[in-house]
Amino acid sequence: MSGLVGQGVARVDGRAKVTGAARYAADQEVPGVLHGALVMSTIARGEVLEIDRRAALARPGVVAVHTHADMPRLNLPNFPYNRPFIPMQDTRVHHHGQPVAYVVAQTLEQAQEAAGLVKVRYRAEDPVARMADVLDEAFLPDDFRDRPNEYSRGDAAAALGQAAVRVDRTYSSPMQHHNPIEPHTTTAVWEDDGTLILYESTQGVVFARNTVQIAFGMPEGSVRVVSPYLGGGFGAKGPTYPHTLLTAAAARLCGRPVKLVLTRAQMYTSNGHRAEYRHHLRLGATRQGALTAVVSTSTAQVTRVDENVYNGGDSTVRLYACPNVHVRQLGVRLDLPTSSYMRSPETTAHFGLETAMDELSYELGIDPVELRIRNHTEVDQQPDPPVPYADKRLLECYRAAAEAFGWARRSPRPGTTRDGDEYVGWGMATETHTHTVIPSRARLTIGPDGRATLRAATQEIGTGTYTVLTQIVCEGLGMPLDQVTTLLGDTAYPDASLSAGSSTMPSVAAPAAEAAAKARNAVIALAVADPRSPLHGVPAEEVVARDGRLSAGGDRVDTYRAVMTRHGRSVEVTGDKRNSTPGHSFGAVFLEVRIQPRLGRLRVTRVVTAHDLGRVLNHRTARGQVIGGVMWGLGFALMEHTMVDPATARVVNPNLSTYLVPVCADAPSVEALFVDRPEPDAELAGIRGFGETPGTGVPAAIGNAIYHAIGRRLRDVPFTQDKLL
Amino acid sequence: MRAFGYTVARDPAEAVRLAATTPGSTFVAGGTDLLNLMRDGAETHDHLVDVNRLDLGGITVGSGALRMGGAARMRQVAEHPGVRREFPMLSEALLASASPQIRTMASIGGNLLQRTRCGYFRDAASPCAKRVPGSGCPAITGQNRGHAILGGSEHCIATHPSDLAVALTALDATVRLLGPGGERAVPIAGFYLLPGSTPDRETAMRPGELITRVDVPRTALAGQSRYLKLRDRATFEFAVVSVAAALRTRGNVVRDVRLAFGGVGTRPWRDTRVEAALRGRPLTPQAIDEAGRILVRDAKPYEGNRFKVELVQRALVSVLGELGGLR
Repeated sequence: MSGLVGQGVARVDGRAKVTGAARYAADQEVPGVLHGALVMSTIARGEVLEIDRRAALARPGVVAVHTHADMPRLNLPNFPYNRPFIPMQDTRVHHHGQPVAYVVAQTLEQAQEAAGLVKVRYRAEDPVARMADVLDEAFLPDDFRDRPNEYSRGDAAAALGQAAVRVDRTYSSPMQHHNPIEPHTTTAVWEDDGTLILYESTQGVVFARNTVQIAFGMPEGSVRVVSPYLGGGFGAKGPTYPHTLLTAAAARLCGRPVKLVLTRAQMYTSNGHRAEYRHHLRLGATRQGALTAVVSTSTAQVTRVDENVYNGGDSTVRLYACPNVHVRQLGVRLDLPTSSYMRSPETTAHFGLETAMDELSYELGIDPVELRIRNHTEVDQQPDPPVPYADKRLLECYRAAAEAFGWARRSPRPGTTRDGDEYVGWGMATETHTHTVIPSRARLTIGPDGRATLRAATQEIGTGTYTVLTQIVCEGLGMPLDQVTTLLGDTAYPDASLSAGSSTMPSVAAPAAEAAAKARNAVIALAVADPRSPLHGVPAEEVVARDGRLSAGGDRVDTYRAVMTRHGRSVEVTGDKRNSTPGHSFGAVFLEVRIQPRLGRLRVTRVVTAHDLGRVLNHRTARGQVIGGVMWGLGFALMEHTMVDPATARVVNPNLSTYLVPVCADAPSVEALFVDRPEPDAELAGIRGFGETPGTGVPAAIGNAIYHAIGRRLRDVPFTQDKLL
Repeated sequence: MRAFGYTVARDPAEAVRLAATTPGSTFVAGGTDLLNLMRDGAETHDHLVDVNRLDLGGITVGSGALRMGGAARMRQVAEHPGVRREFPMLSEALLASASPQIRTMASIGGNLLQRTRCGYFRDAASPCAKRVPGSGCPAITGQNRGHAILGGSEHCIATHPSDLAVALTALDATVRLLGPGGERAVPIAGFYLLPGSTPDRETAMRPGELITRVDVPRTALAGQSRYLKLRDRATFEFAVVSVAAALRTRGNVVRDVRLAFGGVGTRPWRDTRVEAALRGRPLTPQAIDEAGRILVRDAKPYEGNRFKVELVQRALVSVLGELGGLR
């Protein structure tokens, strides 16, 4: 063992990314490629009556303008295709910004200009755009992906009625968009044998392949999806969306490869969003602070044609010990696009829970950290009967972060800490998120040159997958970092996990470790069986692999390179071990805000986190996840907000100039602590997902700090300056 | 975006001649706003005349005035030692604008002529009387958090986005123009127009005119000025409310004051009645409050921007308090 796993190894793909050598999906050079441009509906509800293509077709370089009239009829796939319909199959318009025509031209500029010349005549119906207008039509949607929208244990209504102390509040958050910097893009290449290659920016090449095969009625294995790098996804590229199917269809119709890159504005109606959300939350507790009832009724935007609720409230059900819980997740139908998962989906409901816990702490006069400790649970209460957590160290997170932050110095009374003309507030919240595990395989090849290559059809979403898998393989083989190459993002490799739901590492780490162990043993077996090897005849279990050398003490030393050169052929093995289970990571975030209430100015100045994610595989990339999560939480709390026109249901701010996300000047200092378990475990059992946990508590922690600073409780994000005046 | 022609002009006269003789043409300098407008379909031009090669980039601080060439870059003006010393408000307004990358590209003339960030204006598929005269203003009943409480009409309530223009309005700048009819100078007070029933006409510029220079009188007042900008994130964001203020006092009495406001008006907003209410009076919180009330006396707020009525008054208190040493 070289002990590489856990170290803060620098990104193995860092140089390629910063020098531009890394080829993202739209960078793929495909000979003879044509360019696509979408014409989007300018109404939110109604019918397409007529599409006049003449002006567009008359422009130089325009190859085709497809409409519902000539688009091939496709099969509607289930999730992960994330629409209840395929556009351009009929005349119906379900939301503004829905594709109604697809232009193909020789150059991108020609395609875009022609798209602007396509004239569409509609029969428009009045859309419903605002949740507040139709809240009385909220309903309990059907199960989505086998998850019911109602959950109950104990008798929450009765317990709430009898509770000594109650909190009864409504928390809300607006529509938000993922906004990865790399736009969605598809390049479709049909081969002569009828197979299809897609260069796609996707968080799941396997997902995308399966969806496209179903849509086109193609046999398994006839579609290859390639996505070696992502410029961000955040859930927007987890499911598969219409533009992918339409581009493949357009390429088939014209018999040439077609490339499509969505515009930023199109990304506000094409790839899901975090749905607008209202959360009516009632907590009941004893005077000592023990929760006795949690009654949660949330309402999220769904559409007229589907009722999928994506942003579930897992923490409401599980995070705190409480015998009586009733959760209902309602939907309200609006004429907007289908929403989706957005980092981190559980934040939406968790913001309400962690704010309500802070409100309860003030009702009771109990410190907010102490209140959470009193309600700590060591069992997962959702299954019946409950299941103990194998190794939950949330209490250590509270202690570590509180100490590093200096929480003990906090005066609990709101509005009492000033520094010049600024009020200083300290707030905290628990962080948690679910992770999933998806069956995965990884193939490891050691070539005659002694170099190793790992292949798996999972993705580098930007979090460090290339780096961490390389570390795992190096440690398992006993090989230096520069001798191992990891290849990802191609369905030509063995099927592996989606990069969503914090699932990548819990799914892929163990297969990679298993493959490395198998390959090491195979090479050692070759060495000890080879009369030319100094290790000949040594019992295999006595050979230690380290830094590319295989040694059994003294001068009995061989190397991977020498063994493989003599062997003259590759060694190839596959790992598919599944030794993690779906579960949760935990943590605590403590932060400081400084506010000038006169002008509504607010800065988040200091953040300390401590997380329990099981074993940390790379401290540097884990810290990167925390910083990214804090910035996401900051955006959620302070600025992110998709504005929809109430009359037309059109997005009014579909660009990064008016949809605000935090910039570097908004970034506080972040101290990221880990309650780590660095025990060596060659099989990497029980690896947990982490990506979505950091940041989940940040919006509530900011709101709680605002209350501490100025005594004003904000329950509706974003906390813009008008709410602080 | 439509295909368009492009010519690089060699001197101002040629630029004006090219623009006058090429149908559907306009000038381009940094292009940081114009190209986005063309991509979004909010503006269409058949031909661009590039003015970056003209000798219009000079910045001089003379004894009587600051002279900025129309093609001087925002960054050059912001960092100019004479501007920082003699016109701190100008430098602050520029440094509070956009991002370093944009400030490096964008010109002074282009900054003054940038278009509103109103989402309805920037969405070519939406009605907007500024884009299509007579088509109405959906912001009035729609999303209007970023919109004006002063100077609006039933046709338009969009704010002018330039911070620089607010500072220049406070400092009584003059915009010098060259056009087919020759040279002329327009005081900034008459440069920007109220929307009225013609929100598509934003300035007093005539077709084919080019901003060649902006002059700012050098006064003792300008040296004691600052620019306060309130916005929804720390940088790279337009003003929710801004105040450009210059103040001279003797003892506690206001000798002279200049005030202009951003984020609240359909044009960079100056109301000399607000200044008159302060001039010659002791600078007290009460006096500033009274002046603030005069400022918003005719305000017409909407659902999303009602808070600006209060916020702009508080911003005035803050900036005058700071300049006058009240805190």
